[in-house]
Amino acid sequence: MNDAVKNVKLHLVVLVLVVVSELIGIITFKVGPGKLVLLPMLYAMFMGIFLGPKFLKVVKEKEMFQASTLVGLTLLLLMARYGTLVGPKFYEILKAGPALILQEFGNIATLFVGIPIAMYLGLKRESVGAAHSIAREPNVALIGDIYGLDSAEGRGVMGVYICGTVFGTIFFGLMASFLAAFEIFHPYALAMASGVGSASMMTAAVGSLSAAYPSMAEGIQAFGVASNTLSGIDGVYMSLIIALPMSNKLYSYLYKLKYKTSPEAYND
Amino acid sequence: MTKKQTLLESFVVLLIVSVMVLLGNHVGFNNNAVEALPGMGILLLLCVAGVATNMYVFKKIPSVLFVITYGVIVTVPAFPFCDVINAYVAKVNFLALTTPILAYAGIAIGKDLDAFKKSGWRIVIVSIFVMVSTYIASAAIAQGVLKFMGDI
Repeated sequence: MNDAVKNVKLHLVVLVLVVVSELIGIITFKVGPGKLVLLPMLYAMFMGIFLGPKFLKVVKEKEMFQASTLVGLTLLLLMARYGTLVGPKFYEILKAGPALILQEFGNIATLFVGIPIAMYLGLKRESVGAAHSIAREPNVALIGDIYGLDSAEGRGVMGVYICGTVFGTIFFGLMASFLAAFEIFHPYALAMASGVGSASMMTAAVGSLSAAYPSMAEGIQAFGVASNTLSGIDGVYMSLIIALPMSNKLYSYLYKLKYKTSPEAYND
Repeated sequence: MTKKQTLLESFVVLLIVSVMVLLGNHVGFNNNAVEALPGMGILLLLCVAGVATNMYVFKKIPSVLFVITYGVIVTVPAFPFCDVINAYVAKVNFLALTTPILAYAGIAIGKDLDAFKKSGWRIVIVSIFVMVSTYIASAAIAQGVLKFMGDI
């Protein structure tokens, strides 16, 4: 951390990425009835990846590790801004409480879709780790606690975690933008769904939505943040009490169906 | 944030990022850096207060939770200076705050690419379905409840 603070090169590189990304600015494409939004943060991330040793070699191993120690801290400034978005809308959010709380159960849907697909693709216990939740930090910690991260379940959860880290921001931004474009869901419903327990995914989705609906931007941001905070609080309990037991049941049911024999014990 | 850091180090990092945000906010969102300075200062203070609370008072609760909570408290309509604070922080576009974070994250991701390759194409497919199903199911429930309550 101390070395990371003093790495002037790292900060200068980031500063250049920021200024270049902001100069490019928000790019929107018309898609169907709405628009697809590309945000400066996506360019900054892509350029950041391409500066690495595998591509342009501008940053080295040292910078990559130091950068990763700083991400958590830099997130705090955004979180402070998020707090100030929730404050003015506090009473409105309380009013929307039931919708906010109930939409959290949507996070369970992933196991009914994800586990059959994972097993169809030939994954075994990895399926449970991979698809019981959206696999953000609290879920990784939970699986690590119960099965160990070097178990099959651990490999599954880590795989989805890494995919989410690499593609999640881009994917959520695009998904929110597409769904907004086709106008199936109200922007507030999409904003609430954006809070999945990952600040960057939520930000990407909320960012795209607020660019698509500028007049509703404040409400969208407040709901996104409130929902994400809620996911952060209840996510781990939801996984432990509901999603994980259901995942295990579904797994053994599908296992019998597919392999005509009972699955091996949990920790084989 | 794996290692324990001193409050000063955290402050310096937040200060560096604040300067970047001010510049990005200036070139990307036409918010004059000088005008956005008080708002940025408020955000910086909220962060430092959050980090300090985590470091000295409630060590087990993550700083993020305090930072958000303090942000809510100072802008909730019942707080004395909420209007002034709102006007100041409004000059800091929230998208401008995301760009430096993702720039650091992008640089950091480079080291996870190998682990990512090993986890294989099947996990990638499962991940996509996990993200899509979570998002659509939550949106559908939210839509239903908001409609039912007559909010939309």
